[in-house]
Amino acid sequence: MKAVETENLSKIYTGGKRAVDGLNLSLEPGEVFGFLGPNGAGKTTTVKLLNGMLTPTEGSCRVFGRDPAREPEKIHALAGVVTEHAQMYDKLTGMENLLFYGAVFGLEPGKCRKRAEALLEELELGEAAGRRLESYSTGMRQRLSLARALLHRPRVLFLDEPTSGLDPESAQRVNSLIGRLAREEEVTVFLCTHQLRYAQELCTRYGLIERGQLLAAGSLQQLRDQVSSGVTLRLRGKHFPRELAKNREGEEVYTLRVQNEEEIPRIVRKIVEAGGDIYHVSARRLSLEEIYFALTAKGKEESL
Amino acid sequence: MRQAMGAVIRKDLRAITANKRLLIPMLAVPLVLTVFVPSIFLLVLHFMPEETGDMQRLLQLLPDSLREGSLEQLAVNTLMNYIMPVFFLVIPIMASSIMAASSFVGEKEKHTLETLLYSPLSLGQIFQAKVLASFCMSMLVSFLSFGAMLLVVEGEAFGLLGILLVPAPSWLAVLFLVSPGLTLLAVTLIVRGSAKAQTVEEAQQGAVFLVLPVLLLLVGQFTGFLLVSLWILLGLGAALLLLGVALLKRSLGRWQYERLLQ
Repeated sequence: MKAVETENLSKIYTGGKRAVDGLNLSLEPGEVFGFLGPNGAGKTTTVKLLNGMLTPTEGSCRVFGRDPAREPEKIHALAGVVTEHAQMYDKLTGMENLLFYGAVFGLEPGKCRKRAEALLEELELGEAAGRRLESYSTGMRQRLSLARALLHRPRVLFLDEPTSGLDPESAQRVNSLIGRLAREEEVTVFLCTHQLRYAQELCTRYGLIERGQLLAAGSLQQLRDQVSSGVTLRLRGKHFPRELAKNREGEEVYTLRVQNEEEIPRIVRKIVEAGGDIYHVSARRLSLEEIYFALTAKGKEESL
Repeated sequence: MRQAMGAVIRKDLRAITANKRLLIPMLAVPLVLTVFVPSIFLLVLHFMPEETGDMQRLLQLLPDSLREGSLEQLAVNTLMNYIMPVFFLVIPIMASSIMAASSFVGEKEKHTLETLLYSPLSLGQIFQAKVLASFCMSMLVSFLSFGAMLLVVEGEAFGLLGILLVPAPSWLAVLFLVSPGLTLLAVTLIVRGSAKAQTVEEAQQGAVFLVLPVLLLLVGQFTGFLLVSLWILLGLGAALLLLGVALLKRSLGRWQYERLLQ
């Protein structure tokens, strides 16, 4: 059974704004799916549709075989959701908040407390557990929201910008927790973000959305292939053959595009045999960020 | 699911008791109405020179069947059984409006409602838990106020005037039918308003429409223009309860995820 599936999923808000337009997605259990796109692209609307908070205008979606529009509470029982707008109670302490949500999810109080303590410790909130939420920083609130979403051991996690507002250290910690959950507990993660560097560390597959439409989907390599399959080779040295002059980027620095890594020894040999001195050679594939910008630019060109 | 709904009810009740800004008006108004007002009335009655005749004129407005006993007895009876019950219509409206506004609109305002909507409780169950929390708080405040009033009025009437009074049966109708009915109506008005209201204060304004007829009734009681009998109270209470339940059911139909998250 697929963890998440959408078929031609569309949502038009009253007023005519088409927030999601014919979205087709399919996620296997245990997959960490990065749903990438700029603000207003339709990421949050998709999460709301998958949780039954919004009803699709066209098409359909299923989470572990269930239709969110028909059985939202059943989806909520097996899903954990972190969104910017899903806040917790300021007048309760971190622990009291978790115990409340544990009770709402039907957890037995003793077990819930143990689970809450473990999660708070893992997310470095152990010391703040007894403090009221009103004294928490944005980053602490964000981490507590993640603890709340994980409390009932969900099978699927919907995370809408979970690392925005976190310092790099906390973001790293949150990422490693999400990664561990996916690997060890087979939790499916639907991660909406525009922090592409974190997404690249964590996700096994990606979907790029812009103006409600899916621009591309696939693994990093599949997305790379859509943009450019080659490798960027960077060389630093002196006395390079004349034919490389066009590749010169700075003093002693040359950049070349090659189809694959097998071409690199041949190029290096050619330079050395021609009397060149090489101090540095590095090969680099396109990062997720570069692919993202290339694909969004391509999308814009096509829509013009 | 009972455990989950119980948790929501306890949390809503705690949200009020932990918030002084809401708790103080919720307790102060009943305190003034049920302790200070009757105390002043009884003190005036005790120290007032009998020859002014003002009290006789007020009491002459009562039907003949009620004009038995001494002037003090009549006055205390009028206070206890005809004037005080009207205050017990204001108390549940006020308590339930404050509670419902915090529970429904307050959660929306602070973005905690969305988190609750992502729980395995159905929309209907969340709605029921919130209505129950408002209802329980309103009834609790009403009963506590009744207890406080009984203590104060009986104590002062006995101490100052040597009179002990038994509350009229109409109190049963007020406490168990009219108050719950008005509570449900006040909660309905807040819930209906909660769809549009963005702040707690905005939502509370809806309940003003309920207070107005109660104020007219109070004026009626004081001037003797209107004296509500037990049967009218029973009928009114039953009608209010039925109307409250019916309107709440209609409001539940309008409670949809998409509307709540707008």
